Amino acid sequence: MSSVISVNSLTKQFGNARAVSNLSFEVVPGVVTGFLGPNGSGKSTTMRMIMGLDTPTSGTALVNGKPYTELNWPLREVGALLDAKAFHPARTAYSHLRCLAYTNDVPLARVEQVLGIVGLTEVGTKRAGKFSLGMGQRLGIAGALLGDPGVLLFDEPVNGLDPEGIRWVRNLLRSLAAEGRSVFVSSHLISEMALTADRLVVIGRGALIADTTVRDFTALNGGDAVRVVTPDVESFVAAVRRAGGEVDLVPDDSVAVRGMTSAAVGELIARERLIVHELTPMRASLEDAFMELTRDAVEYRSGGSTGAALVGSGGEGEL
Amino acid sequence: MTTITVLPAPRSSRYGLRQACRAEWAKLFSIRSTWWTLFVTVVGTLVVTALSTASAAHHQPGWYQGFDPTNQSMSGLAIGALAIGVLGALVFTSEYGSGTIRSSMAATPRRLEFLLAKLLVVGAVALAVGEVLTFSCFALGHAILGSSPVPSWSLTDPGVLRSVVGSGVTIGLLGLMGAAIGAAVRRTAGAMGIYVALLFLLPILLAKMPGNLVRFTPLIIIANSIAAVVRHTGFVSPVVGFVLLACYTVALILLGVVVVTRRDP
Repeated sequence: MSSVISVNSLTKQFGNARAVSNLSFEVVPGVVTGFLGPNGSGKSTTMRMIMGLDTPTSGTALVNGKPYTELNWPLREVGALLDAKAFHPARTAYSHLRCLAYTNDVPLARVEQVLGIVGLTEVGTKRAGKFSLGMGQRLGIAGALLGDPGVLLFDEPVNGLDPEGIRWVRNLLRSLAAEGRSVFVSSHLISEMALTADRLVVIGRGALIADTTVRDFTALNGGDAVRVVTPDVESFVAAVRRAGGEVDLVPDDSVAVRGMTSAAVGELIARERLIVHELTPMRASLEDAFMELTRDAVEYRSGGSTGAALVGSGGEGEL
Repeated sequence: MTTITVLPAPRSSRYGLRQACRAEWAKLFSIRSTWWTLFVTVVGTLVVTALSTASAAHHQPGWYQGFDPTNQSMSGLAIGALAIGVLGALVFTSEYGSGTIRSSMAATPRRLEFLLAKLLVVGAVALAVGEVLTFSCFALGHAILGSSPVPSWSLTDPGVLRSVVGSGVTIGLLGLMGAAIGAAVRRTAGAMGIYVALLFLLPILLAKMPGNLVRFTPLIIIANSIAAVVRHTGFVSPVVGFVLLACYTVALILLGVVVVTRRDP
């Protein structure tokens, strides 16, 4: 599938600070591509360069094969939510969208339509300055959808939203991708990306850390494992090694088996006639993988340990 | 939830100045501060003209020796000059201040076109307001001075129409200057400071210096060269005045162009 956003060796230097460093990745249609990184890792700067708002120090960012500034009808090709407050507080939501619509010959009927999509119809004639952060986000999303674009960029779209709003954004992004659009969404919230994105571009300190799928990302970094509790650790470890698996001894006297499915471990136990008290398939969380990868790339880090830990696959919970 | 829609295809091959101007027009008149600024421009000018001209009415005939009633009627324009600069500056600074600049530049990313659209719209509005204002001032002056023994000053008298129309044009130029400063400075307070300094402080400063440089400052040109029908020595001619004001405007616009195209929002 041809990519619609193509970032090539993109670099942005602010004085002595290098915000984005030799970054290259592609965004393809039909999926949600998550743009994951700690705060201050260069996500917003990258998005601003894609949108032609920041000029790259070197490298290129192309949308539909062109620099953003050369698009014929920018809002009809790309929609973006880069900033929750990118509107004038004295202007009504309707007027804000109407002014945007004029720039790209978007009919005014579409303004009503996008206000409906984001659920702001009833406050369309209220001044946007009175809006809550969440309503501001919705207005920004309405602006992004205005030109019915095939490419959508969202910078931290769930910031300031309540749980209902967060789920709404998640469903919106997924349905936009399902319609064949390219959706590129940044977040520092790993759990949100795990639920929303199909692909992941992970950056830390402006540099690419991983460009992969959500599934591969968690599998490769930390990987899946089977946790086994057995009174006879020695025999069990020997049996697993004979079967070609790898074993980690976990401090709580359990054993983590890697490189084998839980089914394979179960069959091995039966074959070898071993006693096992517990057998739990473990899924490394996206968060663990992320922490592991960005450990050296976090600009501002609290003092606490970021040691990776395995969690049970049943407990999705809050990561 | 469905987001699928079919937008009618645009008629032209790409967006251009026409779309950008239409959006800028809608932006300008969809915030209340525009109406307030225009209200202050018009009412402030007319009130000052009325008060100042009233004190020049009903004197003895000898008092009106060398009196310039047209110039007298334009005396309130200093208020209009200040307010129209605010309007111009706000066209840019309100966008930078609120963050609107990012959605605007995403919608119309070619920055020169963006800047040009803003200047065209605010320049046209300031010019139109300026002309309405100067003709209103002229009519107001006639109403107040009508019964006083002033020299003849109909629009057909030499220099009168030039003064009235020309003074209106300067309001248009001042709107452009304010906008250009706003584009270069980005902040309302900073832009207003520079604009006020240029118009009101610079003449005071230069008046104390040798060489009569004060005659080249914008407000002195407007008051004594362009709005004057009776010429006085020590001031530039109306033509030179216009050329100078146009040069100042172009210089400030070029500064705005450099900043807007080079510096990221």
